[in-house]
Parts: sequence; C-alpha cells; structure tokens
Amino acid sequence: MSGEPRPGWKNLLQGTARVLRAPIYLLALVTITVMAVLPQFFGTQYFALSLVFATIYITLALAWDLSSGLTGYISFGLPFFFGLGAMATGYSYYHGVGGSFSLLAIDFGVGLLGGLLFALPTLRLRGPFFTLLSLLLPLIAASFVVAFWQVLHMPTIGYIGIPFLAPSPQAELPILSVTTAAVLTVSFLLRRSHFGLVLRAIRDDEDAVESKGIRTLPYKVAVFSFASGIAAFAGGTYAMTTSFGGIDSFDFQFLIYPMLIAIVGAAIVRGGLGGIVGSVFAGYAIILFSQYLTLPEFNLQELTLPIFAFVAILLVLFLPSALGRPSGPREAS
Amino acid sequence: MTRLVVSELAKHFGGNRVLDRVSFSMRHGSLALVGPNGAGKTTLLNALAGVVRPSAGRIEFDDLDIAGLSTWKIARLGIVKTNQVVRPLHSLTVDEHLRVFTRGNDPVRRARALRATNLEEFREQTADQLPFGALKRLELAEAIVTGARLLLLDEPIGGLSRLEAEGIVETLRTLRAQGQAMIIVEHRLREILPFVDDVVALDRGRIIYDGPPSGFYADAAVRDAYIGRTDAGG
Repeated sequence: MSGEPRPGWKNLLQGTARVLRAPIYLLALVTITVMAVLPQFFGTQYFALSLVFATIYITLALAWDLSSGLTGYISFGLPFFFGLGAMATGYSYYHGVGGSFSLLAIDFGVGLLGGLLFALPTLRLRGPFFTLLSLLLPLIAASFVVAFWQVLHMPTIGYIGIPFLAPSPQAELPILSVTTAAVLTVSFLLRRSHFGLVLRAIRDDEDAVESKGIRTLPYKVAVFSFASGIAAFAGGTYAMTTSFGGIDSFDFQFLIYPMLIAIVGAAIVRGGLGGIVGSVFAGYAIILFSQYLTLPEFNLQELTLPIFAFVAILLVLFLPSALGRPSGPREAS
Repeated sequence: MTRLVVSELAKHFGGNRVLDRVSFSMRHGSLALVGPNGAGKTTLLNALAGVVRPSAGRIEFDDLDIAGLSTWKIARLGIVKTNQVVRPLHSLTVDEHLRVFTRGNDPVRRARALRATNLEEFREQTADQLPFGALKRLELAEAIVTGARLLLLDEPIGGLSRLEAEGIVETLRTLRAQGQAMIIVEHRLREILPFVDDVVALDRGRIIYDGPPSGFYADAAVRDAYIGRTDAGG
C-alpha cells in the first residue's frame, strides 16, 4: 500500500479522538445506549428480543456497508459468512471449546480467513462478476450442509443446543450493544482514515486510482476480509441467541435486511452508501417495525420484506445522490 | 535526468496497426507528441502508462523495460498520465483527491500542488461541483502530488477557453523550469510548442518528425500530414 509516514502514537490518538467527536457518530452511540438500557426498565421480553435481533442486523449492515457500500463492490455473500459464523460456533462448541467470547473470537477468525480466501481471487474481477460469484456462496453452503450434515456428524442440519450468550434477552442486549458499538467505532474510524478514503476513491473510479500508483487489490481484500469476519461474528451471536447454528443461517434474509438497512441509512444520513452511521438508526427502525408487524394481532410477517423493498426502490429512484451516485454528466466550458 | 527510450513499439487492434515500430527517446526534459487525429498519439501515451499493452517493442525507463507492466507499477516507477477526458472521483473533495494520491501523505506537497494549479479556492468542493477548467487542473494536481518523475499529459488544455488554457500553460512552464519532465499530447500547438524542448510528430502510427520545435513547421512531411500534399497540382 502507499508509503505513508507512520504517525506517532500521540498523533494517532489525537486524530482518533478528533474523528470520534463527530456529532453523528455520538448520536449513534447514544441511540445504541438508549436501546440497550430501555428494556431493562420497561417493555416485554419480546421487545428485548427484537432489540437483540436489531443489533445483530445492524452489525451485519455495518459489515456490508463497510465493504460493499464503501468500495462499490456489491457482495451478496453476506449470508455465507453469517452462516459460517453460526456453524463455526456450533462446531467449536461440539468440539470442546467453552466460553462465549472464545467461540465468538473463533467465528471472527473463521470469517476473516473465509473472506480472505474468497476475496483474493475474486476481487481481481471487475464489474458484476464479483457480485455474481458472491451470490453463489450462500447457495453452495446451504446445499453442502443439506447434503453432508450426517457425514459432518451434525445432530441435525446444523448444531442444536448451543449455549445462550446470556440467560435472558434483557441480559444479552447490553453485551451485543457493546459489540455493535465497537463495530460501529472501528468502521467509522476506517471510513474516516486514509484507508477509507482510498476505498471511496476505488468506488468512484478504480482505474483512475491505479493509474496514479495505488494498487487497489490489497485495500479491497483487507476490507472484505474484515467485513466477513464481522459477519461471521454476527452469525455466532445469532447462534447463541437462537441456540442453533445451521441451515437457516444461510438464508437470504441475512442479506436483504442488512442491505435495506444500509440503503435506508444512506438516505437518512448524508454521505451515501458507505456512510456507516446511518445503519444504526435505520436498523432499529426497520427491525423493530418488522418485528411489530409480526405480532399476532397484525400477523403481517410476509409483508414486511416487500414493504421495505418498496421503500428501498423509492429511495434509489428518487434520492440517488443520497446513495452516493453521481449527480450528472460533466460539461465542457 | 529522466531517461526514456522507446524502441520499435507497435500496437495492433485486430488488423488495425495503430503504432508501427515507433522509436524515439527523450533527449531533454520535455517533449510534445503531436499529429493529426488518429495518428496514434493517445495510444502511444497509453502504452507508456501501461493502459494498453504493446504488441511489440521496448519502453525503457531508466534502463528498465516497462512495456506491458500494469499502470500502478508504472506509476510507482514515476510515470503518471493525466486523461484527455477528465476522470474525477466524483464524491471526493479536491483536498481528498490530493490526500488519496499524495506520495508520503506529505501536506506540504499537497499545498504546493494546490497552489501550482490554482485550486485553493475549490479545496473543500467535491468534484461534482467543479467547473470543467478546474477539473482539468485537478487532473494535473493529482499527477503532481504523486511525485511523478515523468508526466504524460493527454491534451491538458483541450476543451478549455484561451484564458483557462493560459493558466495551465503557465503552470506547465513553471513545472518545467523546476525540472519536471513531461510528454504532452496536444492539438493546440501554438500554446505548447514555445516551451517544449523536442517535438515528435506521428501520422498513421509512424513517426514523421523528431526534432526541435524550431524545425517543425518547415518540415515537408509535417506539412503533408497537416495540410495535405501540395505537389499534386504541379
């Protein structure tokens, strides 16, 4: 990567503190904190569980926005890494690994490695080819599990009986809120760094970036691997919330919802896709609303996804600049 | 002193021979690459920058054969090209453009490039908001901050008003006076030829003139290429 001078620790800390004073970031942190605390005082267990799912989806959305939103390389492979994390949790637990945080650390490592192995050859491709290949990942993984679950000594098409992260959703929520805040902070810092600037430049015109001496592949692979690690980590938390890590973790709802959250978030907060912070606000709104619609008195579960998909289409059509698309052609004087 | 030697360089697109065994060298620090439309100027510049892979021949830059290397490798060796059609990073501000490309992330180098290209007033504006003349200057500023040893400038004043062109020409003169090596492809010869050391003229993929600017207009082959043969009518 480019030969930048290494700043001293003092400069680095000062720069980090300056970035983290951004009002929009602080507002997102406050939102996460309020949502973590709220069910401790009132609300039902269902409300707390909905917020737990919201933090998982927000973490996924942050991972997708960081890699795809920031670079413009749209990946549909998110459910693969999410499912990989869930499966890794089950596999590790069944093979004697104890302790929730050890399991989650393994998930992150597995996702990171999986992302690296997938990204190294495929991110050399341009245009829609990377996207198409990434689409195949979750499909292959799900078929693999269905075909080989007995060979792999799974108790069913996945691992059941994975220990819960905490005894109740109310107790789990603060833990997941802290990890979501940590992912938000790292992603926000990355976006504001020189590394993030190069990723945004790649999104705008990768050839122009390479023509000025920047090799883009290491940047793309690094961010994609990191985001894959985050997605696998989220998969692990999901497995420890549902006590199951298996076939359902590869479902495309773990792509559609995070993408919707990132798109709606991009429209809420200036900066377009890759803006990172918007996912926090959009995530709580979308997941809580969709959980609300699934309540027995409404029973509109099947309608939630079409409703949000429609909202996303409207945003893309009528607010293209919010998503970071160019506003128009350049004219010569 | 930057050393560039091009030997027997050829480029075919299918059956179309765009460059036909082109050979020249940079004797001094600046060279204008000229010729009528379709002469192969931009293809030659693209081959030097690694944008297109030559079909045959050698490009030696400081005794290293760089023909066929990728653009980022060539740029890191010190050859950086600007584009005829501007290619800004639309969501980035002018300052961010320069932060992406500044060698060593050196703020002094950035400030100097902003000043040299008169972009200081646009510093916080995104590329989407810039007028065309400023975008042309931004292309030049991006190339300057990379610390390139040889700039390949593809029509740096193409499409600009006379006043805007004068500004860029003045910048190029200053850079040249500071020892910056450059190859300029340009149709507006009146503005460019007065300050370059050498001229290489191409016509239909072949070199028809390689010498100082002073002899360029008097050369028979050049006049044929630009005006057409005048001996047909006797």
